[in-house]
Amino acid sequence: MLAKGVKRPHGEMEGGDLEPRDPGAAPASSLFNISMVKLHQSLRHVEPNLRHLVLVANTLRRMQDQMQREAGGPMAPDSPEALSVVDSPAPVSDLRDSGLEPCRQPPSDSQGDDLLLSSMDSSISTILEDLGQVEVLSPTRPEEEQPLAGASGARQEPARTSAPCLGPLELLSSASYLLEDGLEDIFEDIDTSMYDCDLWSPTSLSGFKAFSSAEDSDSKALAGAEDRLDMSDLDYLMDVLVGGHAL
Amino acid sequence: MIPYCKYQQGIHTEIYHPNNIKPISVFSDIISTVEFNHTGELLATGDKGGRVVIFQREQESKNQPHRRGEYNVYSTFQSHEPEFDYLKSLEIEEKINKIRWLPQQNAAYFLLSTNDKTVKLWKVSERDKRPEGYNLKDEDGRLRDPSMITMLRVPVLRPMDLMVEATPRRVFANAHTYHINSISVNSDYETYMSADDLRINLWNFEITNQSFNIVDIKPANMEELTEVITAAEFHPHHCNTFVYSSSKGTIRLCDMRASALCDRHSKFFEEPEDPSNRSFFSEIISSISDVKFSHSGRYIMTRDYLTIKVWDLNMENRPIETYQVHDYLRSKLCSLYENDCIFDKFECVWNGSDSVIMTGSYNNFFRMFDRNTKRDVTLEASRENSKPRAILKPRKVCVGGKRRKDEISVDSLDFSKKILHTAWHPSENIIAVAATNNLYIFQDKVN
Repeated sequence: MLAKGVKRPHGEMEGGDLEPRDPGAAPASSLFNISMVKLHQSLRHVEPNLRHLVLVANTLRRMQDQMQREAGGPMAPDSPEALSVVDSPAPVSDLRDSGLEPCRQPPSDSQGDDLLLSSMDSSISTILEDLGQVEVLSPTRPEEEQPLAGASGARQEPARTSAPCLGPLELLSSASYLLEDGLEDIFEDIDTSMYDCDLWSPTSLSGFKAFSSAEDSDSKALAGAEDRLDMSDLDYLMDVLVGGHAL
Repeated sequence: MIPYCKYQQGIHTEIYHPNNIKPISVFSDIISTVEFNHTGELLATGDKGGRVVIFQREQESKNQPHRRGEYNVYSTFQSHEPEFDYLKSLEIEEKINKIRWLPQQNAAYFLLSTNDKTVKLWKVSERDKRPEGYNLKDEDGRLRDPSMITMLRVPVLRPMDLMVEATPRRVFANAHTYHINSISVNSDYETYMSADDLRINLWNFEITNQSFNIVDIKPANMEELTEVITAAEFHPHHCNTFVYSSSKGTIRLCDMRASALCDRHSKFFEEPEDPSNRSFFSEIISSISDVKFSHSGRYIMTRDYLTIKVWDLNMENRPIETYQVHDYLRSKLCSLYENDCIFDKFECVWNGSDSVIMTGSYNNFFRMFDRNTKRDVTLEASRENSKPRAILKPRKVCVGGKRRKDEISVDSLDFSKKILHTAWHPSENIIAVAATNNLYIFQDKVN
């Protein structure tokens, strides 16, 4: 679940170490923080566990809805949709224990709530939008840019404190996993199911080098040794590709 | 290839079961899948290191009646290796996510094994004869000097020590962008499906460079992604019908005759949310981790985090049976969310007659539910409690109040010991339970 090199945050425990002090309840803000941490950890993987990601994101949205409702009507504890238990007695012990009593923030804190809500809103939207925006990188999908630009514009407006937790660039690099459609379009003219030997012949070595190295001048200077190195890389790649189709 | 031999390392051969039991525990990597073949003669396990270990049931022998039907290692092979995807710069895990057997059609056995990205068809066959008496090479394989050959002889087949060899016959690659969670062999025995988080593909066993996409739930904008596919299975008899479950707790039954892309379901199974149990974690605990058709094909069973549900295919609006697996965890959901245990994917299995269902839990507990008597039992797969021919004691979790002598309190449960994978013999009361890196096989003892 954790990406390599990522330190397990303090909140995560393993083993039978359930919180002894309080069976289940936790403040919404701490649940929110935990969820955001989980979301970011998930996105740090090149290929995130999609189920985990989606479930955490949906849970965050639920918290957001709940907090919006709380901020919108702190004087309406009898709202049938209110998830948190305020004054009602016993039978909802399940609700309380499953960590819903979070939002008992005093009315004076509603300003803080608003900021929290708006930053949550923009955070989740930004993160999920950026997941979608990576597909815009493909040149053959211009029609996606319009609705996305429109959507992001609409979303950014209500956010008073636009403080997304992750910069878009970071997300793009970590969400390239979802770029698959863009990749298909870029390499559309190459039949990837049957690798043509000619594609990897020494005569096309310059094409491969342009793909993999930054500076032409540098590569020319190191031509001799690099040729040999690239050839063995190519051979290895070829073995991997052809080997995968052996019956 | 290994010569046929008894597995030496770390075997207990004790017997226990709800009535009289027998476990075999084997040390290996963390076991990631367990599956009996269609006759129950073979049991395959896959592990995190990409290895497959196949056990074979011993023939019953009058000389040693107490060793009736023990499972011994039959074959071990490396199914998947870690791969490096150069385009995306990531390592593809070799962990075996699922194994599914093909029905036996000749002397060899065939199984499908899959990791996150690639499905492979393996052939496991025995060799007990070898040719001897070549003319051009000697018994060691060295070429003979042609001038020394003075007469011709016909090579003959002579018996040899039994050898079991596994060879990859097909590799079905490059069809899944997301992680494969399920494979299922169709009842036509010509096709199978593989399902990842967002798509399901249909394959023909003979064709490896092409598959048909039959389900695609990927949204046009990934920001709209709210649901993923969690499991999928073909109907046991109707080769046009399959089901897939989702992270939102829904099951869709699809008919491949209706259209090429089965985005529109024929049936949609969902239980309305219980308003008194709503919480932030409602969706996560409703996420279905496994779906299995009954052998009869009339029912499906689904496993979510806290319950098992049995559905009648003819009734979509609610399950006909719901069984609480470990409801005492309902008050611990917050902590289980923090330590990610709430995302554990437990599997569930039917017995051969569809009368008993089984699933795993924490603390190496597993649960069985008798659908007819409505009785259930909690058992533990543990080496400490295993004695030769001991009867396995039912376990009980104490929820609150005074803890009785044999009970264990919720707070003492070990959440790192989880039983995610179990299997039930197709016709007998033999079960296989994977507890991390130990495999337990339990069976009824018949006097």
